[in-house]
Amino acid sequence: MATRRTFLKGLVASAGLPAASWADAGHPAYLSAAQTPGGGYILCGLRSDGSLTFSLPLPDRGHAAAAHPHVPEAVAFARRPGTFALILDCMTGRVLHRLDAPPGRHFYGHGAFLYEGDLLCTTENDIETGEGRIGLWARAAAYMRVGEIASGGIGPHDILHLPGANLLAVANGGIRTHPDTGREKLNLNTMRPNLTIIGADGSIFDQAALPDDLYQNSLRHLAVNPAGEVACAFQWQGDPFAAPPLLAVYRDGTLTLADMSEAENRALGGYVGSVAHSRDGREIAVTSPRGGVAYCLGPDLRAAAVHRQADVCGVGATWDSFLLTDGLGQVATFGEAAKSSHDLRWDNHLIAI
Amino acid sequence: MRGAFLALLAIPSVATADVERAITDHILPGYEAFEDATLALREVGNCDPVAVEPAYHAAFDAWMGISHIQFGPIEDQNLMLAIAFWPDPKNSTGRALGQLARDADPIVLDPATFAEVSVAARGLFAMERLLAEPPVEGEYLCALLQAVAVDLGRSAEELNGAWTAHAALMRNPGPENPAYRSQEEVERALFTSLATGLEFLHDQRLGRPLGTFDRPRPLRAEARRSRRSLRNVTLSLMALRDLSATLANAPELLAAFDRAIETAEGIDDPAFEGVARPGSRLRIEALQSQVRQIQELTEETFGIEAGFNALDGD
Repeated sequence: MATRRTFLKGLVASAGLPAASWADAGHPAYLSAAQTPGGGYILCGLRSDGSLTFSLPLPDRGHAAAAHPHVPEAVAFARRPGTFALILDCMTGRVLHRLDAPPGRHFYGHGAFLYEGDLLCTTENDIETGEGRIGLWARAAAYMRVGEIASGGIGPHDILHLPGANLLAVANGGIRTHPDTGREKLNLNTMRPNLTIIGADGSIFDQAALPDDLYQNSLRHLAVNPAGEVACAFQWQGDPFAAPPLLAVYRDGTLTLADMSEAENRALGGYVGSVAHSRDGREIAVTSPRGGVAYCLGPDLRAAAVHRQADVCGVGATWDSFLLTDGLGQVATFGEAAKSSHDLRWDNHLIAI
Repeated sequence: MRGAFLALLAIPSVATADVERAITDHILPGYEAFEDATLALREVGNCDPVAVEPAYHAAFDAWMGISHIQFGPIEDQNLMLAIAFWPDPKNSTGRALGQLARDADPIVLDPATFAEVSVAARGLFAMERLLAEPPVEGEYLCALLQAVAVDLGRSAEELNGAWTAHAALMRNPGPENPAYRSQEEVERALFTSLATGLEFLHDQRLGRPLGTFDRPRPLRAEARRSRRSLRNVTLSLMALRDLSATLANAPELLAAFDRAIETAEGIDDPAFEGVARPGSRLRIEALQSQVRQIQELTEETFGIEAGFNALDGD
């Protein structure tokens, strides 16, 4: 491991100063992929008022995006089991680099930057074994692939950078899929999801899982607050009418399940699409496109407010609330009617920059 | 592709709904009938199952007339599960009533506090359980039955009362309207009710007891304890046909409803025990396929599709 660590350090040292900032890309507050009325796919920058700053074409359906912490560069990921990711210059709209998953790997649709944006980490499937991998790509070397590590489970989906440390939180969803069978789930009776906290050298700092009887609660999406608490959003693979709470918070090494009512659990339809912390880190919003509903939970992990919006999925913090996007093109503030409407289908995630 | 729980979205450019007819001929009379039937159930004033059962069935019948209208007051007041807690794969109703009975919990004596008990111990399915498999006898059972009936009646009263104001919102969409900012949103609510009602009928009311050929699940049939699983399917088909007829002139769709209703009326298997016997199973499967055809025609007629994100599964 020492060799890899030294190598990573070298990459960090080689990074130059950023030439442009996100301000130069029109101050977008969020990124989101979308489908156009013509059936094409784009990546957009959005302001907090729901207006667009830019819109860049994608070759296929996107999923999430990752924003570089300083320079106006975004990584747009193909929807799983996609094999491409594009590094986009959000000022010029140019494709700076194209990442292709190596042979035997495909992307799961999420990525995160470590080391002040010098190392891009992508969740991937080792197709042969079904083991989750994290691909490592060096920005300073034109996003060359510089290695990969085990993700600590099967089906890693969301991944994020923990504040104040060069550590990743990885949502190992537990579900094995194979490109030959598309998105079919191959191991629902034996799945074991977990949250893994891991360094880029592959050393695992911690792993946390829900109690055994909730093994079919697939961990998919994550959000982190400034205190380093990780909100974990799940998708229940069992009977949707027997779904447990679909949100848990990782703090002090343990996962605490949200205290949600039977009615709230059912309203989510067994499926949370996205999760976000409020800007102050005290509240958490979860969305369910299947239920057409979003809940805001307070620090006691009880639902404090409900928001209804058909096909709602993307969610990100605003300065005092949440912004939500849906598959009908609407952008709304939590608890309010839509503030803007686009002739687009917003896809899955609203990524705060 | 269809999952177990997909949100269906109406894209209301395909058809224009007759919203006024849906409100005045379907929703308002439906909620009024439900209130009347639950108040009659409350007035039975007798704990003998033989006396309560007819009123229970009448209330359940009335519920089937509007159980698919899940927007508006029932959503605002979060009363859906308090009226009908089903599916119940964890036997929450049995467990919640059993707990109340074991503790002889005095909460049931005060109608004002009964609404605080587990939602699984309220509504039509709690009533059914108390009538068919009472967890306790005597005075406490009587108090429980009365509490459930009073609570159900109050829910129905509140909903029927609130529908007057909600109907006004539906009739006057606009930028200042807190619930419906456009006519499209009103139509979407109605079309979505129709689509999700059909989906629930296909996937839950029929799909749950059918299970798979190798593993039929007769004990998962809705309201099997009061032997009204088939009746709920038939009444649900009739109610959804009624809603469709108010929304659009779609003879092909109504004919498909009629065929399915005829099939349902020809089945003699009130609690769907026949799902486990190949011969009778076939007829229930045939009914389920007819419901699928109705779903497809509904999607065509009203321009309904699964949500872009709801369908995604990531």
